[in-house]
Amino acid sequence: MLHKLKIAFVLALTITVAGCGSKSKPNDTTAQTDTTKAAAASSTKTILVFGDSLTAGYGLDDQSESYPSVLQTKIDSAKLPYTIVNGGLSGETSAGGKSRIDWLLKQHVDVFVLELGANDGLRGIPVEETEQNLQTIIDRVKAKYPKAKLVMLGMQVPPNMGATYVTAFKEMFPKLATKNNMTLVPFLLQGVGGVRTLNQKDGIHPTAAGAKILATNVWQVIKGIL
Amino acid sequence: MIKPVMNNAPMDTVNFKRMINFGWLFKMALRDSRRNRGRLLLFISSIVFGIGALVAIYSFRYNIQNDVNEQAASLIGADLTINGNKEPDATMQKLLDGLGDDRSQERSFPSMVYFIRSQSTRLVQVKALQGAFPYYGELETTPIQAGREFKAGKNALVDKTLMLQFNAKVNDSIKVGNETFLIAGVLNKAPGQTGISSGIAPVVYIPMQYLDKTGLITVGSRINYSYYYKFGSKTDVEKLAKKLDPQLDKAGFSYNTVEGKKEGTSRSFADLSNFLSLVGFIALLLGCVGVASAINIYIREKIQSIAIMRCMGVKASEAFLIYLIQITGIGLIGSVAGAILGTSIQHLLPYVLKDFLPITISVSISWMAIGQGILLGLIISILFALLPLISIRNISPLNTLRLSFDDTTTMRDPLRWLVYVLMLLFIASFSYLQLDSWASAAVFTLGIIIAFLILTAIAWLLIRFTRLLVMSSWSYIWRQGFANLYRPNNQTIILTVSIGLSTAFICTLFLIQQLLISQVTLSTGDNQSNMILFDIQTPQKKGVADLTRKEGLPILSQVPMIIMRLEKVNGKTAADAKKDSTLNISQNSYNYEYRVTYRDSLTSSETITSGTWVGKAEPGKDIPVSAEERFARRINAKVGDKLVFNVQGVLMNTYISSIRKVNWNKISTNFQVVFPTGSLEDAPQIHVLLTHVPSNTVSAKYQQAVVKQYPNVSIIDLGLVLSVLDELLGKIGYVIKFMTGFSIITGIIVLISSVRISKYQRIQESVLLRTLGGSRKQIFAITALEYLFLGALSALTGIVIAVGSSWLLAKYSFDMAYSVNFLPVIAIFFIITLLTVVIGLLNSRGILNRSPLEVLRSNA
Repeated sequence: MLHKLKIAFVLALTITVAGCGSKSKPNDTTAQTDTTKAAAASSTKTILVFGDSLTAGYGLDDQSESYPSVLQTKIDSAKLPYTIVNGGLSGETSAGGKSRIDWLLKQHVDVFVLELGANDGLRGIPVEETEQNLQTIIDRVKAKYPKAKLVMLGMQVPPNMGATYVTAFKEMFPKLATKNNMTLVPFLLQGVGGVRTLNQKDGIHPTAAGAKILATNVWQVIKGIL
Repeated sequence: MIKPVMNNAPMDTVNFKRMINFGWLFKMALRDSRRNRGRLLLFISSIVFGIGALVAIYSFRYNIQNDVNEQAASLIGADLTINGNKEPDATMQKLLDGLGDDRSQERSFPSMVYFIRSQSTRLVQVKALQGAFPYYGELETTPIQAGREFKAGKNALVDKTLMLQFNAKVNDSIKVGNETFLIAGVLNKAPGQTGISSGIAPVVYIPMQYLDKTGLITVGSRINYSYYYKFGSKTDVEKLAKKLDPQLDKAGFSYNTVEGKKEGTSRSFADLSNFLSLVGFIALLLGCVGVASAINIYIREKIQSIAIMRCMGVKASEAFLIYLIQITGIGLIGSVAGAILGTSIQHLLPYVLKDFLPITISVSISWMAIGQGILLGLIISILFALLPLISIRNISPLNTLRLSFDDTTTMRDPLRWLVYVLMLLFIASFSYLQLDSWASAAVFTLGIIIAFLILTAIAWLLIRFTRLLVMSSWSYIWRQGFANLYRPNNQTIILTVSIGLSTAFICTLFLIQQLLISQVTLSTGDNQSNMILFDIQTPQKKGVADLTRKEGLPILSQVPMIIMRLEKVNGKTAADAKKDSTLNISQNSYNYEYRVTYRDSLTSSETITSGTWVGKAEPGKDIPVSAEERFARRINAKVGDKLVFNVQGVLMNTYISSIRKVNWNKISTNFQVVFPTGSLEDAPQIHVLLTHVPSNTVSAKYQQAVVKQYPNVSIIDLGLVLSVLDELLGKIGYVIKFMTGFSIITGIIVLISSVRISKYQRIQESVLLRTLGGSRKQIFAITALEYLFLGALSALTGIVIAVGSSWLLAKYSFDMAYSVNFLPVIAIFFIITLLTVVIGLLNSRGILNRSPLEVLRSNA
């Protein structure tokens, strides 16, 4: 009866509303396995990309198409001794990240890349709230691995959210980066956001081609600190 | 001229090869009917009730179906909607502009809206509307006219809860993007709000002509484009939409029709339509029972007249035709009167009941129902008259006079079988008219044949057994009462079949109604969730729950949710499954992100179908999990199979300890996989809380409190979404109850009239008994015994048939679990038995109260 719809609400809404569907490929949950690999080769260092569906590579056919994986190939071809751990989880908000970070910090981290906030923005969560959560996450990383290099990936929300919110949201990332002495990628989706051909049907998640541009955006900034 | 057959008899002047004189036949038919108009009236009344029931039920059915369909259109508010999340290109635009007789469009997008008075911001779903949408239903607002007039100026309609939450009043202002809009009205209910997307955020409507000025539509904006169409009544929208689909799909658009929405929204629509078909079918059979039982007894009573006519030189074929004409006349009169009765009931009843019914039933004359009713009455009359008339055709006058019309010779008569085949064909084709499918018509007809055969068999056995059973040691009354069941001219078979079938129909409807009503549960019920809180973090879990309780709201469910993936099924990974299709593991099941919970017990909506539920995991061992039926099927796994889940980086070895069946029929958190306690407590998780808010005011206050303390928690208020649906489901519930009640009452009336026509069967005997010195008490007791026995046995058989048929219907037609309350069924049994006895006694009351001679003279 109406219940089909309702179940959809419970099971799908919690998911779709989060800005991320439920069909992403098994690439966001490989943190642990990759880390063990990293630990085995003691000469390599670990980059933890902590993020949401964008990092997880939602909707892509293969894990290797997500931007952290593309980034890895760039690092490899530059012969840098880093292994990327994909810590992305579809639907993750800054509050969820705050709860999850300890689970991932059990492994050693040399470079911490923070990509969170997009889902907060899509749900209209007050910017101060998101800012506070992100700050807590950064503090936890700093406390556990004081020597880790920190990278902040900037994010923007679509203009339809209203100029006030859009601006406040956009400015939060440079503000946090400066405050915490982080390397800033001004806008992760630069050149991809709003471009129909580079996004999947939902209009939010990049395609494989889009993910390549994302990786380039990050690589431009990150190569300097590796 | 050919010579007569018998030369020496005075009858030789009779020309047996004479032409059929139709005028004379008609005259004879009329003359014969004059003999006892009172008796004729009784038979006609039975036909009238049968056809009246049928016409009334059919008419209600057609009208109600139309009403519900009309109402269902308010689910999407138009005949067709087309949606996409990008601007249509030139070809697409051309296609969109060419559709429909009237069209509207809408742009919708989430945005942060500023409430000027309270100086606060909130995420809302802005809907910029142009055109006359909604075509079905209304934008229900306070004040009422706002819903129609807001488009005229820079006005907005704001969701009720939102208004309460921000303490906003009509004529306040809100800022959407760069523009300020006047709040013209509070939005209480809106068509087309039942989609998932509308649940995310409360809705604010603005006129589309001001959309550009808001500055919200620019590069990178995420906008939903909706186009609403109204079509003339002749367009088959469903077909058109299917034809357009490939084109739309290519352009990245999707469509929605009323039919599709009904299917996707609630199975109640399908249930209702199935139920109404069933009611139609039952009405058909009630009509049959009413007409057939009358005709059958009527013709049997006419045997003597026919015999006399035959002796007087009427040819068999002429006798046959005389009565055929008479029956056709009776059938026609009865059917037309029945149609008039049915139609007047249909018009009067809603008027009489209008204060009690929460729904308005429109009353337009359904010519379809009337036509079907008359045709049906006529056909049944003729078909059922044919059976006894055919046997007359073959027997000599003497035989007829002796009344030895045992069916011994006639069983081999091919014509008789032809009539049987005709009857079946007729029932099957009328069933088809009601059910719209040959397969179900066949099944239903077969069901009726089986029911009929069961009842006939029971009656036959009853005749055999009572004959053996009756002992000479019994008292006279008992012997006589039982003997009535098997002696010549008994009414056992005819009454068993008509009482039994009527009981079966009444009882089936009653049981099915019980099942359906239990399915139509509304969100307005206190135990139904209409608000979902998600993204509650573990440390906030207790706080949110306490807050909910403090607001006086129930916590209907609060569950942890962990996202994980399936890594291996019995050691097979996604790659293995891809390579080896014989494993029958759906590839998607590896791609899916499972939202899993852990707990120590099953919920009320779950039942174990195999294996055993284990509520606690033992450390260091494989974790026993419970798999949902369909999930288990998708991964081709059974109890004992090993699954490896990847819980955000940690691999967990599990095995399926049980397989569950989940009743997905409620708003509740149901899961494909459930872990036991002691397994996932440390994993990253979020919590979901379901509650029921009784009103918008409470909802607004609660939301405010939650957002203030836990800004990261997202709330979905399903109130607005569910209100449209609730109203509709409420109506469906009432329609089902109304139709059941009405059909049961008509069923009882048909039953009464079919028992009532047995009135003249026992007159002769009762009078003879009285003449021979039987006391009134004795005759009373004899009659009571006969009807008690007949009533009880047929009611019981009918109920057994009903339980069987309703079980089959529930399982195969309605696809639901069979759980019914049998107490009312027992009541039905006693009521019908009692009713039979009472009518039987009423039938003989006339004889008992008058002197025997008086009765003999008037009935001779």
